[in-house]
Amino acid sequence: MASKMENIDKPIDILDDANAPPIAEKSGFLPIETNWFDRLFISVVIWVAMSLLWFRFIEPLGLSIWISNVIALALAAFIIAKG
Amino acid sequence: MKSNTFGWILLAPTIVVLFFFGVLPFLYVVYVSFHQWNPFAANPYMIYNGAGNFRQIVFDGAFLASLGVTVAFVFFAVLTEVIVGYLLAQAFMSDFPGKAFFRTIHTLPLIIAPIIVGSIWKLMTTPSIGIIPHLLQSSVGFDLNIGQSAAAAFIITIIMDVWHWTPLVTLTLIAALVSLPPDPFEQAQIDGAGKWQIFWHITLPMIAPAVMATVFIRLMDALRIVDEVLMLTGGGPGSATRYIGVHIFREVFPRTNYGYGSAISVVVLYLTIVACWLLYTGMLAPRKPRKS
Repeated sequence: MASKMENIDKPIDILDDANAPPIAEKSGFLPIETNWFDRLFISVVIWVAMSLLWFRFIEPLGLSIWISNVIALALAAFIIAKG
Repeated sequence: MKSNTFGWILLAPTIVVLFFFGVLPFLYVVYVSFHQWNPFAANPYMIYNGAGNFRQIVFDGAFLASLGVTVAFVFFAVLTEVIVGYLLAQAFMSDFPGKAFFRTIHTLPLIIAPIIVGSIWKLMTTPSIGIIPHLLQSSVGFDLNIGQSAAAAFIITIIMDVWHWTPLVTLTLIAALVSLPPDPFEQAQIDGAGKWQIFWHITLPMIAPAVMATVFIRLMDALRIVDEVLMLTGGGPGSATRYIGVHIFREVFPRTNYGYGSAISVVVLYLTIVACWLLYTGMLAPRKPRKS
């Protein structure tokens, strides 16, 4: 009976998969809890936004899109490492 | 058998179908978006264009105007649907005579195909034969002509979308409201909380995930509205209701400009994902604890 009560006190979480690899949450400078995929996603979103804005406002001034790509890559590395 | 292996076996058919009918077409659209491709031109083959289509998009006044009216349409339509849907869900939570009948009637628009919804509203809003212009003329003397008035056409497309999709919001919110435990509400009433306080501090936080899921679904649907609007206004008058889906349709099919149309589709997908992600992050994502 006591063992049964123990089981009731600690119900099984059916969504919890013991075999699933743990997701490493990180606490960096971003205001939300993120794993590496979240930070990669944020980096890609920023890269696309930067590219479109670069096409519209900076490229007509003569600066190549590759500068934007390098900045976006550096930013992505920083966000994934420290975000 | 390991539970993981069994899980993968169960998921396999879905993953295979999604890969062939979701992922592959998406990758193909991304591939086409980097090309110039008009299969009916003198050179019907794809010509690699780099980021040329995307470079063209950011200077395309018609696209930017279309994006502007789409954002306005999505904002007003989804906001109205959530508010009206919540009020209807609350109404359906209480008992009143004919509740089952009204709930069935109210759900009927959901099962009508969008192109038919467009036809119905076109018939209802056509001057001289439509019931809405007739009623507005006879009751308040307002002359409704969605073929001439840009504002009227814009508002009618919003009303049509609200009419069509509010039942979905209502059904989702009814499901969320039914699943709420009664204890917090009883405790709040004992503590003397008012209706507004109960709504703001208990009901809304508890149904927030359901509301957000509904907003995501409606946001994605509203951003790619085509058939209803094409049937109702054809994107006019002028470009007043030339929403992004209509713009892509006009670019891809009548002009057979597949490369540029694909690039616009990719940009719209990007904007949709970003909008949903921002909403999720703003409303639901777990925050880091503040350092004191």
